[in-house]
Amino acid sequence: MLGLKLPTASASSPSFPRNTLNSTPAFLSNNFFSPICINVKPLKPKSKSYSTSLVKASLQWNRKPQLAGETPRVVVITSGKGGVGKTTTTANIGLSLARLDFSVVAIDADVGLRNLDLLLGLENRVNYTVIEVLNGDCRLDQALVRDKRWSNFELLCISKPRSKLPIGFGGKALVWLVDALKSRQEGSPDFILIDCPAGIDAGFITAITPANEAVLVTTPDITSLRDADRVTGLLECDGIRDIKMIVNRVRTDMIKGEDMMSVLDVQEMLGLPLLGVIPDDAEVIRSTNRGYPLVLNKPPTLAGLAFEQAAWRLVEQDSMQAVMVEEEPKRGFFSFLGWS
Amino acid sequence: MGSATIWGLRFEWISVEDKSCIHNFVSGSSSGRRISQFRRRNEMSTRCDASRQHLWLKPKFLEATAIYVREPREQHYYETYSWFAKIHEVVRSPLPFLTNSSPSKFGILLCVAIVVLVTAVRAFVVRKSRYKRPGSVADLVRRGQLRYDSRGISKPLKYDDPFNNPLVKVSNSKSTVEMCGKLYRLAPVTLTEEQQAIHQRRRSRAYRWKRPTMFLKEGDSLPPDVDPDSIRWIPANHPFATTAADIDENLAQTNVYQKRGVPSRIQAEHEALHRKLEALENEQTLNRLTIDPTNGQDFESPLKSHINSNAQAEKRSINNQVSDPDKVESSSASEEKPGL
Repeated sequence: MLGLKLPTASASSPSFPRNTLNSTPAFLSNNFFSPICINVKPLKPKSKSYSTSLVKASLQWNRKPQLAGETPRVVVITSGKGGVGKTTTTANIGLSLARLDFSVVAIDADVGLRNLDLLLGLENRVNYTVIEVLNGDCRLDQALVRDKRWSNFELLCISKPRSKLPIGFGGKALVWLVDALKSRQEGSPDFILIDCPAGIDAGFITAITPANEAVLVTTPDITSLRDADRVTGLLECDGIRDIKMIVNRVRTDMIKGEDMMSVLDVQEMLGLPLLGVIPDDAEVIRSTNRGYPLVLNKPPTLAGLAFEQAAWRLVEQDSMQAVMVEEEPKRGFFSFLGWS
Repeated sequence: MGSATIWGLRFEWISVEDKSCIHNFVSGSSSGRRISQFRRRNEMSTRCDASRQHLWLKPKFLEATAIYVREPREQHYYETYSWFAKIHEVVRSPLPFLTNSSPSKFGILLCVAIVVLVTAVRAFVVRKSRYKRPGSVADLVRRGQLRYDSRGISKPLKYDDPFNNPLVKVSNSKSTVEMCGKLYRLAPVTLTEEQQAIHQRRRSRAYRWKRPTMFLKEGDSLPPDVDPDSIRWIPANHPFATTAADIDENLAQTNVYQKRGVPSRIQAEHEALHRKLEALENEQTLNRLTIDPTNGQDFESPLKSHINSNAQAEKRSINNQVSDPDKVESSSASEEKPGL
């Protein structure tokens, strides 16, 4: 169950409300899948007999999302509840952004319980952390771990496992870090993604301190939604107004059987624009254990594609205009007779 | 192997025809005597070639030979040839056209095709077994131990647009989308800006929060001139609270902003060590004649000094125990003295 863009107030779909969240940028044309006006002929999805070589030729690196907002965009990825997929989202969106040729620094702000390095497969390369930088044991550039797969992606861990951050230092330290990254010799990164720890304790306060915008990760269950609503309230009180949500672990079969809230139900409860909808996928566990993010999988998985779409929307500061709510029943041989 | 056998067969056929001309002899003559003479003359060579003759001799020829055999000695040859005939019946050539005097073009082409096919299959099997070899690079990549993206053998993804690629197909009516082979129904997002504003107002009423700027351990005294709302009380066993901030805030900020050179703490330690060495050298120049062994103790690790101090303490205690009887004696003597 993934979300897609729909044309704003499309003439072809009169059922769409006129006053939906139309934060769509001006470049969004009537063309359903070509928000940037580059001379690319859109594929005709119905035609099964299109040439694969033509597809490769027309799609290879000729479309990129248009970066909106001032750089560096400091995005905190948070949720009230633990285990909803904050770190997975950070890893996959970070690497998707790096694949789209944006420079990204991912900060694991989970003090003492960091996991982002494991998801990225960089656990053996983390020698220095922010604690060492603060202590003067190393410089900031030495603590940044550059990913060899995508060299414009860097990881920065706040602390080593089981180590502690001095009280009251966290928020200030992250602000200093962001300032120092802005004034780097090789240029400011386009995105600084902060992986927030669970809860609303000191770790949460530390993580949200330098952020300008937030991505709220939630699952379609009531415990997660209550925490997400609380966290959204705290973020809004802190002055972070640009909050979008990612609904993770969505199961269309359960939604169809009315055993799970639909994405539209979740949106109705939280009142937040949708950045992405990630389907429940066994590949997520596999990729986590391998330390190889989903978005690098070949062939791409359903969840990986959804993360890539979310990353694209994040770059353009866009939100979803349509969601895929259920599986269409497959048409049988006698469907023309009215039988399914 | 198959090709070798086929070509081997063909070679035998040609060579026998050129060498002995048995075929011509039998067909051109009707005298059994001549056959026997010929066989006597070429007894050795026939015996040597006996193992080969089953490859080209026809059963008809062998039967014809048997008719002309009259002499008892020739009976042996008859039996030999009948034996060959039996073998030939058993091992009949799978390609009878090869035994013809003039092989057809079709046969040759079929042989060539078979050879090419067998070679291709063999190459394919060898290549496949190479990938399955445990411990090979390909195997490591397959198991996820090696990252093929970092080894220069990766292929770029076939698309760069998550909304428009061979895995994401949208119907012309834009009501359905097929992703990774599954068909989904699209439903428009119905969240309006008014609804979003209502949710924001609700949250601002429900969650009144101010980001804490000061973190205090539970039990600490409230500093003067501090807004109590800006204080975050942290449990005494919290990781933040149990860490002593032994580093100066200004120094930490300087460390974060440091772009090049030796990190401050490393530099400070190095300078301290250098100063200590200089001091030692100065002392040694003053006391050239005598070397004070206690100076070296400064460089010993605290653990070692701790062990030494323990050892010294033990020695002292032993000495005390050893010297105790004297002391007791002396004390008793001293005690006794006044009595005397």
